[in-house]
Amino acid sequence: MSVLTTSVPERSLLLHHPFVRVALSGISFAALLAAPSFLPAYFVEIGFKLLLYIVLAEAWNLLAGYCGLVSLGSSSFFGLGAYVTVGLLNHTGSGIGLALAASALVAMTLALAMSRGLFRLRGLYFTVGTLALAEALRLLVVNVPWFGGATGLFVSADLPDVTELFRDAALLLVVASLVMTLATGSRFSVLLRAVRDDEDAASQVGVRAFRVKLAAFMVASALIAIAGGLQAIKLGAIEPYGSFGLQWSVDPLAIVIIGGLGMRFGAIVGAIFFVAIGELLADYPELHVAITGIILIILIRCAPRGLCGLLETALRRTGPTKVASS
Amino acid sequence: MATRTSRAASSAPLPVLKRLLPVALLTIAVAWTSTSAKAADEIVIGASIPLSGPLAGFGSFQKWGYSRAVDEVNKAGGITIDGRKMPVRLVLRDDKTDPNVTAANTESLLSRDQARALLGSCTPALVNAGALVAERKKIPLVTGCNPLEAFKSVRKWNYAWDLFFHEPELAAIPFKVLDDLKLETNKKVAIFHDNGPDGQVVGGTLWPQMAKAAGYEVVQNASFPVDNTQFTSLVAEAKAKGAEVVLVDAITPQAVSIRKQIASAGYAPKLLVIEKGAEPVQFAEALGKLADGVLVGGYWDPSFPYPGAKDLATTFESETKLTFSQHIADSYAAAQILLDAIASAGSLDPEKINAAVAKTDKTYVVGPIKFDESHNAKLPLAMLQWQGGKTSIVWPADRATGKILFPVP
Amino acid sequence: MPGLDVIVNALISGLLLGGMLALTALGLSIILGVMRLVNLAHGEFLVAGAYAGLFLLQRTGIDPLVGLLLIGLILALIGYPIYRFLLAPLAGKGSEAAMMTMFGLSIILQNLFVLLFSADTRAIERDYATIPLMLGPISVPQIYVIGFAISVALIMAVHVLIARSRFGSELRASADQPLAAAIIGVNVSRVHALTFCLGTACAGIGGTLIGVALSFTPTSGATYLLTDFAVIVLGGLGNVLGTLVGGIVLGVLQSVGGLTLGDGYRDLVGLVLFLAMLQLRPQGFLGSRA
Repeated sequence: MSVLTTSVPERSLLLHHPFVRVALSGISFAALLAAPSFLPAYFVEIGFKLLLYIVLAEAWNLLAGYCGLVSLGSSSFFGLGAYVTVGLLNHTGSGIGLALAASALVAMTLALAMSRGLFRLRGLYFTVGTLALAEALRLLVVNVPWFGGATGLFVSADLPDVTELFRDAALLLVVASLVMTLATGSRFSVLLRAVRDDEDAASQVGVRAFRVKLAAFMVASALIAIAGGLQAIKLGAIEPYGSFGLQWSVDPLAIVIIGGLGMRFGAIVGAIFFVAIGELLADYPELHVAITGIILIILIRCAPRGLCGLLETALRRTGPTKVASS
Repeated sequence: MATRTSRAASSAPLPVLKRLLPVALLTIAVAWTSTSAKAADEIVIGASIPLSGPLAGFGSFQKWGYSRAVDEVNKAGGITIDGRKMPVRLVLRDDKTDPNVTAANTESLLSRDQARALLGSCTPALVNAGALVAERKKIPLVTGCNPLEAFKSVRKWNYAWDLFFHEPELAAIPFKVLDDLKLETNKKVAIFHDNGPDGQVVGGTLWPQMAKAAGYEVVQNASFPVDNTQFTSLVAEAKAKGAEVVLVDAITPQAVSIRKQIASAGYAPKLLVIEKGAEPVQFAEALGKLADGVLVGGYWDPSFPYPGAKDLATTFESETKLTFSQHIADSYAAAQILLDAIASAGSLDPEKINAAVAKTDKTYVVGPIKFDESHNAKLPLAMLQWQGGKTSIVWPADRATGKILFPVP
Repeated sequence: MPGLDVIVNALISGLLLGGMLALTALGLSIILGVMRLVNLAHGEFLVAGAYAGLFLLQRTGIDPLVGLLLIGLILALIGYPIYRFLLAPLAGKGSEAAMMTMFGLSIILQNLFVLLFSADTRAIERDYATIPLMLGPISVPQIYVIGFAISVALIMAVHVLIARSRFGSELRASADQPLAAAIIGVNVSRVHALTFCLGTACAGIGGTLIGVALSFTPTSGATYLLTDFAVIVLGGLGNVLGTLVGGIVLGVLQSVGGLTLGDGYRDLVGLVLFLAMLQLRPQGFLGSRA
């Protein structure tokens, strides 16, 4: 979080220059790719987890924060991505890149297939509907013998080491960031907001609400599926309860809420906090789940706009910079 | 809606770099969390076990078994490494009964806590997830609580070692009991099993084969996922088909529900075996006298003629005021095997420790342990039966502590 | 192909089971309908009710079915501070905040159950829970019949409370038009507090019944949560009588699924039906408001 406080004032001064933006993006990305070479193994492991959580949270944020689709179904696409990736790796001998791309494609297809029904559901119904979708997929995978039942599947190929996976995850995050930039900074963002704020009114003025939501839903699903595939490759073994687990739906939500819903840094700050808490409490194995719950409740209660909201308020109080509104 | 304002504020153009910049630095931010204590004069052993979630029951027994073995070694002054006595530190992590977490915990036990050797979690999904990490990092991992076929089917192991029962032996016992004790039934068998790794092997494959070989007719074979709560239709079907032998492989909550639903359907099979779920004492506590007559295979009992068996159960019960479980024995033995291997290697080099585990040949509290080429060590089995809230060994004859109740009351 | 008696048996126990499912879903339904709150801790309230029933029997010897109202009261007393201190301050802050608070509460409660009562599988041991009721070739578990009767009675009672009483009219007003209700002088916060307590009380009673008829562990809640969502969507959100209809429809269809595809497909059949229902008639079988 110290990262944010230092980078924020500077941003408003020189970062608006397009050249500086491109250059800094390039440098950041290069630093991210180079990171695993000089970081200790522990931080590469944690970094991978963090990258994955940020991607999941960004995808969830795209749906909820910008389209008003509060989903509890991330785990359906996460698990789908895991199973498709492992299935392709085992049966076709394709490379990791191809398998991940295919899982994204399958996830988009599923999103497309389910969209007609899911989008007829508004608000709470959508939330409950996505929850049921994830559960139905898990039960299907548990029961249908092709997927190895509750035993699951093992990756038969040799697994890449975590350095390579870290780089893949970094690449995925770049894609996710690009998507979010597009979604929040382009003409598309106007459509998204119009649909989120008042779907019926948007439809009346000619916005094809359905298509706008569908595009966001498909992109988010693809991102989540690739994240699922990466996690599956990292594990080397998948089974339905771990891959379609409710935690993959709830954790991104918790992260975004902690960081700040609809806040630009919400997903990142939330994920850093979430992962750091997990690591700090690792030495109290009996209590850490309960403590996480307590922290979550306190944060929601005391920081309704998340940690980013807190930071903004704190900055506005201390300095006259126009940070908050930028 | 209060979030409306924040959403509006955030909808301004958002360049890629604003997201990437902090991410590039995130690894540094996480450095705060680094608390790794690097002590060169202790031997760190790591274990990720289920202390919360559905399998928390197993985890609590493992925690006791692992800690007990480590405490004993420390009380005796530790282990001599390169000529110096060093204490052993056991680092435990909770994997929340989630294999994703087991894998992540195992990784951080190695990278953050610098563990030199590992002990396993419980049940195939969790143990395998941790063992795969150990395998990749080339660190020895000794585990119990993972049926041998389920362990073996994952891959050719180099660094992971498993001591537990062998599914074909477990599956054979009901028929041996029927035969040895000359129990008369109509030879019709109904099988209910969950579709987890061991349930699938025992209930889906082995029991039907062995029933056939022993001259029994399988009139029903039904599988269900491990979170099912309703078994009324399969019980009704077994009853309608008149099966007198019912073989079940299910976890405890389901085992309790199945036993209740068999009774409340007015169905009275003569022989009722409930593998896995009927093992812990909570099964009998939850069911009361309905538990009487239920049979379950067991790989350990304090009455077994192995050194320290009786003491282990007594110590557990006096320390925790709980009833012992056989899981204290395999976890205690697994930790002892690993500690013995470190001592005989006299080094903290994982390769040397691994080589020493391979050479294990000694009788532990669970019986004689010697690993075969697939890194398995078979624990001998007995058939237990619940009788008045306690288990009695009813088979084999040379270990029996009681007479079988037949038919099921 | 199973015989006719097996089929009839399965249908009847499906019907009875459906009634019990409705009872476990009732608390979730009331809270969702009035407060628009996706109560992710509902499963834990069920489990808390089951523990309450178990300890009531162990400590005082009161039969849990006799003490059902007492258990409901205990759960309501647990529910009130949760509403007062966790949910009330979040009023007007969007549905996600309250939903995640309840999720946080659910993991705390699960952990607490493990710490206090161990992770053991429990069941409330009662003789009447394990005997069959025979009617010629048909035999159904007696506890299912008892559970069905309790379920219908409680759902009717709640229905009458909502349809007839002054609290009920305030409750309906708060659910339909919270702003308008506040303007005409309904104390929406008080209505929500009472609704939440009523919801947790119903969950406690449903949980006790699960404990008697089946078994439970500290983490059993999650399974019921998902089934219960299916029940209330089938019946229509916030429609109390619909919950009963939804439960019965689901129970019967699960039984049919269990009979034709195997018991493993029970829940899957339920969820597929649930998804289909969401598409075709999101307002539920009985519901009129979407």
